[in-house]
Formats: sequence, structure tokens, C-alpha cells
Amino acid sequence: MAEFRTEVFQNEFLSDGATDVHAIVTVTAAGAGPAGAAQGGVAEIVIIDTSGSMEGANLAAAKHAAQVAIDQIPDGTFFAVIGGSHVAQRVFPLPNWAVAMVPMDDRARSDAKQAISGIRSSGGTAMSTWLRLADIIFATVPQATQRHAVLLTDGKNESEARTELSRAVRDLTGHFQCDARGVGEHWEVDELREISTALLGTVDLIADPADIAEDFRRIVQTSMARGVASAELRVWAPQGAQVLFVRQVAPTVEDLTTRRTEVNALTGAYATGSWGDESRDYHVAVRVASKPVGSEQLAARVQVAVGGEVLTSGLVKARWTDDDALSARISPEVAHYTGQAELASVIQEGLAAKAAGDEATATVKLGRAVQLAAETGNEEATSRLRRVVEIDDEEKGTVRLKRNAAKLDEMALDTASTKTTRVRR
Amino acid sequence: MDHVVSVACPACGAAVHDSDRFCEGCGAALVAPAAPAEPSPEPSPQPSPEPSAADGAGAPCRSCGGVVAADGYCEQCGALAVSERDHWSERPAPHVGGVCDRGRRHARNEDAMALHADGALTALVVCDGVSSAPDSDLASLAAARAARDVLAAGAVPATVTEAARPAAWSALLVDAAAAADAAIRGAVGDRAGRAEPPSCTFVAAVVDGPLVVTGWLGDSRTYWLPDAGTPRQLSADDSGANELIARGVPRAQAESSPTAHAITRWLGPDAPDVVPQTTATRTQGPGWVLVCSDGLWNYCSEAADLDALVRDVEARVGSAPDAIAAELVTWANAQGGHDNITVALARPTGDSLQAEPTGSAANVEAAPPPASRPDLDPTDR
Repeated sequence: MAEFRTEVFQNEFLSDGATDVHAIVTVTAAGAGPAGAAQGGVAEIVIIDTSGSMEGANLAAAKHAAQVAIDQIPDGTFFAVIGGSHVAQRVFPLPNWAVAMVPMDDRARSDAKQAISGIRSSGGTAMSTWLRLADIIFATVPQATQRHAVLLTDGKNESEARTELSRAVRDLTGHFQCDARGVGEHWEVDELREISTALLGTVDLIADPADIAEDFRRIVQTSMARGVASAELRVWAPQGAQVLFVRQVAPTVEDLTTRRTEVNALTGAYATGSWGDESRDYHVAVRVASKPVGSEQLAARVQVAVGGEVLTSGLVKARWTDDDALSARISPEVAHYTGQAELASVIQEGLAAKAAGDEATATVKLGRAVQLAAETGNEEATSRLRRVVEIDDEEKGTVRLKRNAAKLDEMALDTASTKTTRVRR
Repeated sequence: MDHVVSVACPACGAAVHDSDRFCEGCGAALVAPAAPAEPSPEPSPQPSPEPSAADGAGAPCRSCGGVVAADGYCEQCGALAVSERDHWSERPAPHVGGVCDRGRRHARNEDAMALHADGALTALVVCDGVSSAPDSDLASLAAARAARDVLAAGAVPATVTEAARPAAWSALLVDAAAAADAAIRGAVGDRAGRAEPPSCTFVAAVVDGPLVVTGWLGDSRTYWLPDAGTPRQLSADDSGANELIARGVPRAQAESSPTAHAITRWLGPDAPDVVPQTTATRTQGPGWVLVCSDGLWNYCSEAADLDALVRDVEARVGSAPDAIAAELVTWANAQGGHDNITVALARPTGDSLQAEPTGSAANVEAAPPPASRPDLDPTDR
């Protein structure tokens, strides 16, 4: 059984009249074991784009990658392969088979690889149909409580309205997790990010088709090393308090606030998907009624629950003081992740402004991003920004947009915008 | 339908509508008042809080009445559960009760209280740990209990004449202070050798029919608040403030001076002497004997002001002494709660009121309305 623990980083001292309590809560899981160790079954679906645009190197690389992924799936894991264009097709188990998923074994592995080899490309791109077929297939193995898909595309979701994709993503949230990958420079970061965010996965850019196989191998390995199928973060706040936001801040920034489901009137649950042996940081902000100087109260309990059982609880406190030396101190963890969250949003806003031709806004936003990346020591973000802007003054955030920035560099900056660095302790 | 703002939230004091279930200000539940408003029909058993009492888990939340979780905070309002040492209430008899509370600004409750009531005697003891001396919470609790035990065990027998009773009680108070001082030495162990060893004030009042005898060291006080007549402070602080008052500085100014709380006498290993001043008062008619630490009187020093406050509280919560004490503590906290707060009250039993005043050293309270009153004449010893 996996063990979870929480660590709370905050300055609990508030000045007289102050109401807002911020804390970074680090949740660490240990002893998770391999997927399926603790519960029923594990199911994995590989979804690859088979639209006409994939023809050539991309399709060949995608087929190879799917076969590499198949090799990483351990025996006994239910699996299937979907080929997607403007419609979705089950590639394996073969469409004429009676079952939609089969447990992995040597025979299934070689049959699946053969089926993948036979994929031909044609048609458009309608990703909602891919995701809905995956959901139907997962539903045939209700015993598999841990469900994961990996989706690869090279193009825009051009055969359907964007709202179709959004609706599918909404409908399927909580049914399975999905990592999304875009190969080349003709796909939309925003579309894949919508999928991965709602389905508790990651999004990334694969510039070179030759790298797809290695990426798939890592994705499937990571998924198979997650022994906790599903954990939820719970946040209790006192009667009358308001949870301002709940945000995952490491390893990536994900705003969880709107994902709240009610446990009871004072406690909300936020799905966090499956866990391996890892640690994630959350930024919780709660507004409480101000109390007289000298008072102490609990502002939040931040808990991790698996299967409805609370495994760990971190206490976020509020103590009012008239000692400015105590209340003025800002927790370095809170400051760091506040900066990292702002970094993610200014990069995305800056690139969106640039794409819309609003160079003034883009320059200001990306300049601020350069400044924040330097302040929070996010060197990877700085080097990605450097490919898109000329930096005149890092400290002041003075930049100029590069006239000839490569599309791939902008996409790399965009997809990686939510990746954060850990605070130096 | 009109909502009438007529209620104050027991947790934060904000005005709330009487139909509200929760306070808009702090979220505290309004179903049950924080202070016990109804006098309990039975005297509650005397608790014996230990200084080491860990936390209040198990007891209902003091702010909202909710359940206190194992982590020490309320499951409903998040208030920190208070330990027994930080807040407790005693009511050894229906006419005797008190509350001892940490207040808001101090990290520890260094006040202590010990009450006793039986057929022969009602005794109220309050000790206020000297906050500049670490671990004075140990000193105050040991002292208060030791003094109470001496008073309870040595109650002046009924065979002693009325005339001799004030002196006999005064002698017993001196013994009680000595026992309290010895108990501090026992409780603090090696800490007695520190430059500032644990120490505390002392005030005790015994109520023997209409006779009230009080003794003190330091600035914890005894007041007599008659139902009809003029209220007054029976004790006279051993404090910097009183020295200033004696030199003609107005009371309000003296009590807010930097040295106001510098006490000139106390109990503890470094006390110059531990013989309390005592004074005896023969009360006429019903009223309250109130013993308190400076955590209360800092906000309400004049006897007349304190009397008005107590009457106001009594009108709201009834005449259960522990309920009145709890409300006075809540009030002092609402004023800022800058110090630990202890309040204990007792009503002299009415059946002894026919006792004749005698020509003893005791003061005799004039029947109300008094044309004049004999000056307090503490029987210094």
C-alpha cells in the first residue's frame, strides 16, 4: 500500500485585519509499486493519428512508436490500439474480434504489431471521435480501474468544430487519463493542452518523428509505474471561509479550482489521477474572516484520499500578530510558485498575442516572462524564451520579438510553459 | 419580515440577526451560545486541570460548539482547541464559580484559580503568574491549590465567636499564603535558583456568612459588589500604580503608567516576604464577592464600573456565577485580551445575614443607602 505524506510551507502569521492565507503543500507518495499492484486491472490504449497528413515519415515513425509502446506494456494489462482520422477505428483487437480489449501476452503482442504495420493513412482529423471510441473500449473492462491512453497527432482538429472536442473532453473527464503528443509544427498546442489538462495527463511537442518511439516508451513506463490508480486532493476550509484557488504548481502548473467536487459543505475534492513514487506541490489559498491579534485558527486541512480514505493531512494555519517582522515575511515557497504560475500564464498570453498580431502586448508579456524566469531560476524557460525574443535586459524584462522565430520554437515554449522548477531549499 | 439586529456572535462579537444560523463575520455556529447561558441545576463537579493537560480534543469547540478533530482544531470553524490549562471553569457550589482563561495575546495561561465551597466556608483563590519569569504557570497553579487546601482544611469552627472570627480568618489566610509559597518551591524545583524564578501574585477571599475576609500579595483583587449599595474594592494592590496613587496621581493615569503592573509584593522563591495584607468586611444584604486577576480589571478598574458590567452580564446570562465569569472573560477578550483573565464570584449565603456586627477589627458595611462608609482599614500584619 502506498504511503502519502504532506509538508506545509507557509508564513502562518497575518497582520491585524489580514484575511488571505497562502500555503504550498508538498504531497509525496512512496511505496506505490507497479500499476495494478494494489487493485483490479490496468488498461492502456494507444491512439495514433492516421489522417492523410501523416503519410510518409510521420506515419512510419508513429507506427514504430506504437510498436515500441506495445513492448512496454506488461503481460496481463488490457490494451487496444486506435487509429484516428475524421473517424476512429479500432486497429487492435481487430475490428472483427468480439472483444474490444485483450490482456497482453506474447501472442497478442505480435498480433497487435502486425495490425499496426497494416495501418494506412487517409481522411481528416476529428479527435473527439478518437477519445469517445477509447471511452467505449475502456468501458468493456470495468474491472480495470486504472485507465490510461496516449494520443499522438500531427495536425489540427480540422474535421469538426472545436466545441465537439471540448464537449468530448468534458464528457470523458474522470473516465481515463490521457497524455497527448504533437509531432511536427502543424498541430495546435491549445487543443492538445485542453485534452491533457482535463484528462490529467501531460502535453508535449515532438519535433523529430524519430523521437516518438522513445517518448512513447517513457510515457507507457511512467504509466505502468503508477501503483495508485486514483488519488484525490481534499481541501477543508472553515465555515464561512472561501477557497480562493487550489493549484498544482509542480511538476507543472494546473489550476484545479474549478475541478472541485463536494465531499461535504466544508471539504472539496480535486482529482489528481494516478500516482507513482513521486512528489507534487500544491498552492492553496484560503480567505478567512480576520480574527483579533493573538488568535490562532486553522485555515485549511489539505489531505490526500485514496478510495475515500484520508491518508494524510497537512494543516494550514493562521495566526494574527501585531509584530510586523513576523507578518511581513513571505514564504519563499509561496513566492517561488506564485512567480512560476504567473510565468506560465504570461508565456501563453504573450504567444497568443503574437499569433493575433498584437506585438505590443506580446512584447510586454514575454518581457515579463523573461523577468520571472530569471527571478525564479527557471533556466529552461529562459533558454526557450531566448529562441523567441531578443533579451535586452533580463532584470527589467526588456525584450524585442524575434522577426524570424521558428514556429517549432514558439510551440516548444508554449507546451513547456506550465513546467515549473522546484524551489531551492 | 424584519430582522432585528439584536444578537452578538459569541465567537467574534459581530452583530448578527437573531434568525441566522451562522455568523456572517466568522462563520461560527449560532445555535448555542458560547458561554453557558443557563445556570446548571446541579453544581458541576470540581475539575482538576493539570498544567500538563495536552489539548482540548474530545471537548466541544469553544467557539462554535463543533467537534474538535484529532489534530487539535475544530472540524467546523477551525478554532484552535484550548487545553484545560488554557481555559477552565469551576463551580463547586451553586453560589460559587469562576473561569480562568489564557486571554488572546499571551501564549500561555499563567493565571490560576482554585475554589472551594462547603457548609463551613466559601473560598476563592486567584494567582497570577509573573509573566517576566518563565514557568510561572507552574507557580500559580501550585500556589492557588495549596492555599485553597489550607483554607478548606482550617476553616474557623462555628464555636469561635463572631468577634474573634475576622482575626481567625486573617490568620488562616496568612497560613494559606505561606503554604502557597512553599508549594511553589515544591513545584518549580531547580527553577527556584534562576535569576527570575517562577512566581505569582496571590489573592484569596473567604466568605463566612456575611463576613468576607480577603488577603493578597500583588495586584490581583477582591471586590464587593452589593445588589444594593455602593460597590468597592476590598483589596489594595501592592503595585507601582498604587504607589503612584498614594502619591496623588489620578487612578486612570497611574494604572496606565509604565510601572503600573510592577508589583511590589508576590509569592515565589525571590519574594521578600510572603505575609499577605488582609482585611475583613461584614457585608449587609446580598451581593457578589468578585476575585480577579488584572486581565479583567485592566479594562474595568473602578468598582462602580465593574459593578455595572457585572449587573449587565447578570441581566443577560442569569445569576450562575460560572456563567457570569465566562461572560466577563469573553468581554475582557473582546477588549483585547492582552493578559490572562481569571474571574471568580461567590454570593454570601443569606441565612447568616442576621449575624450581628461586632466591635472587631472588621469593617462593617453600612446598610444601603449608606450616608457614609467607614474607610477601608486593611489589617496589615
